[in-house]
Amino acid sequence: MPTTLRIALLAGILALLSNLAVIGFIYERTHDEAVASLHRQVVEQSKVLTDVYRTGGKTALNEAIDDTLAYADPQTAVALISRDGGELEGNLATAPAVQSMQEGYHSAVIRLRGQPSPHLAEIVLSRLAGGEWLVSGRLVGEGLAFRATLERSLILALAVAGLLGLLCGVILAHYVSRRIGQIAAVANRISARDLSQRVPLSGAGDSFDRLGLQMNAMLDRISMLMEELRLLTDSLAHDLRSPVSRLRSAAQAAAQTSDPNEQEELLGSVVRNADSLIRILTTVLEISRSEALTGRNQFAWFDVRELAAELAEMYDPLADEQGAALRFERPDRAVPLFGHRQLLAQALSNLLENAIRYGSKGGEIDVRVQPGEKRIRIEVADRGPGIPLDRREEAVKRFGRLDSSRSDEGAGLGLALARSIAHLHDGELHLEDNRPGLRTSLEIPVHRQQAAR
Amino acid sequence: MGRKILLVEDDRETASYLAKGLTQEGHSVEQATNGQDGLFRATDGSFDLIILDRMLPVLDGLSVLRALRAAHIETPVLILSALASVGDRIEGLECGSDDYLVKPFSFAELLARVNALLRRRESRVDPADHRLTVGDLEIDPLSRSVKRAGKKLDLKPREYLLLEYFARNEGRVVTRTMLLEQVWDYHFDPGTNVIDVHVSRLRRKLDEGFEKPLLHTVRGAGYMLAA
Repeated sequence: MPTTLRIALLAGILALLSNLAVIGFIYERTHDEAVASLHRQVVEQSKVLTDVYRTGGKTALNEAIDDTLAYADPQTAVALISRDGGELEGNLATAPAVQSMQEGYHSAVIRLRGQPSPHLAEIVLSRLAGGEWLVSGRLVGEGLAFRATLERSLILALAVAGLLGLLCGVILAHYVSRRIGQIAAVANRISARDLSQRVPLSGAGDSFDRLGLQMNAMLDRISMLMEELRLLTDSLAHDLRSPVSRLRSAAQAAAQTSDPNEQEELLGSVVRNADSLIRILTTVLEISRSEALTGRNQFAWFDVRELAAELAEMYDPLADEQGAALRFERPDRAVPLFGHRQLLAQALSNLLENAIRYGSKGGEIDVRVQPGEKRIRIEVADRGPGIPLDRREEAVKRFGRLDSSRSDEGAGLGLALARSIAHLHDGELHLEDNRPGLRTSLEIPVHRQQAAR
Repeated sequence: MGRKILLVEDDRETASYLAKGLTQEGHSVEQATNGQDGLFRATDGSFDLIILDRMLPVLDGLSVLRALRAAHIETPVLILSALASVGDRIEGLECGSDDYLVKPFSFAELLARVNALLRRRESRVDPADHRLTVGDLEIDPLSRSVKRAGKKLDLKPREYLLLEYFARNEGRVVTRTMLLEQVWDYHFDPGTNVIDVHVSRLRRKLDEGFEKPLLHTVRGAGYMLAA
């Protein structure tokens, strides 16, 4: 898996770099520390020896030099050079030229007695009271050796760190790809049409869990929509079946009959069934468009009071024929609303038709417009049988016709369309008990309208 | 009575069916099968009516319409479209069409609308306040008063508007959707016979007690006011 490899490499390189930084820091510090410690030792040794000379004179110094050489490590360099440079005490193989000597701390190349080659050393030159020169110092080889050891161990440490980093990377990559793999596997199974799959959660509440949660929520929503779509398709197919089959048999009978009157009758039935098919399809399309919020570009200001008055007047004769008195309580003032006048007219007409169709037996149908602070309510109330609470949701669903024996195919879509038109306006369709009867209302919020003003 | 009609429609079957029917009605029909050709023919302005499909190759119907109106060619346009939603219809009308008919449609419906549009063009020369008479029916659009055989009829405002629309289309078929669109200005398809109820109420006031009915039902199409 190249991704795993990349993550492992990346983690390894990052570990290497951070270790390199730490090791570099240690190296810098210890290096400086080594040099400083050498310097301290050299100065200290020279100070001790000159003090010995001051208190005990040349004899004491010679003893001290012998002691030092006997007990100190082989890096120690000590020498007492006579004023003329001829006499030499100590462990230097040759005496440096006295003429060019200056007091103080120096780096110099010297050769110790018994050693084949000269070495770099840090030394202090001191001119004693008797005119002799005291050379006291240490070969730098000791510091160099320490540095070399340190360098070796640092390189080793670096290699170990790199390897460990790579190992960590592999473990990390494995962990990450396992968690992601679980999610990907779910996605894969979903692609293979099993929508019931959900991402397993570790319970740690980490980013992976959050991703999984979000994905699961998304899947829940998709499942719900799919189920809705399936129901819709099923009921659409079901509702289209009967007009199509009626259309088919009428057309077939028309083709077979020789009686012109009967033929005309049958052809009229063909056209009526085709019309009702078209009406169903148009309404379904209108619902989809409203739910997709298409049509907001046609919003404009209009007076809901006038709209309701017009529709109440339009449906009054129809209600009258069905034995119901349609009343409109006209508000005192205009009720301006920013919306789709034509679609709201259709929604209200659907509520009216629903009330006339199912509630006329109650004898009264009331249309009300209630302007409110936050929302405008357009209400149609009948005194018919109403809809029991547990069946109201069903009544609003697409094709949720409660009385399945009815042959009027379009009827089942009326409330569904009214609801989707309410949604288009950020509003809602309510079905309530009118005690007795059904009260349907469109509630359209006002805030949008003011924002648009 | 024959008029020049431009038919812009890319579906051959629909086009030949419409051309045949309109020719039988005595009109002369010129055809275009794409938007660009249609626009080109329409710009000479010699047509009495343009029947325009919305979804056309090369240039869509609404673009043709906008181009025509931008060029101040005011030939009446009837849009034919399978785009049937209320929003689509409003969009078509707002683009400057005079009528919008949704596919599929009956030829009777189309013919009724074609005749109404042609008639509207004719009546533009008449002043609107001219008295309308149909047989013994007399309508005064200024005072909105209606008399039949000298007797005043008491009509509600909407009934008057219905009758005036019928009278302005005297002798021509008027369909239910035309009434809903023209008299009420609504563009949806009601699921009930709400329009018929209004017409039958008007008919009761208009024809009851008179020997000769004026308001006729045309089977499979709509209504007609004729002496």
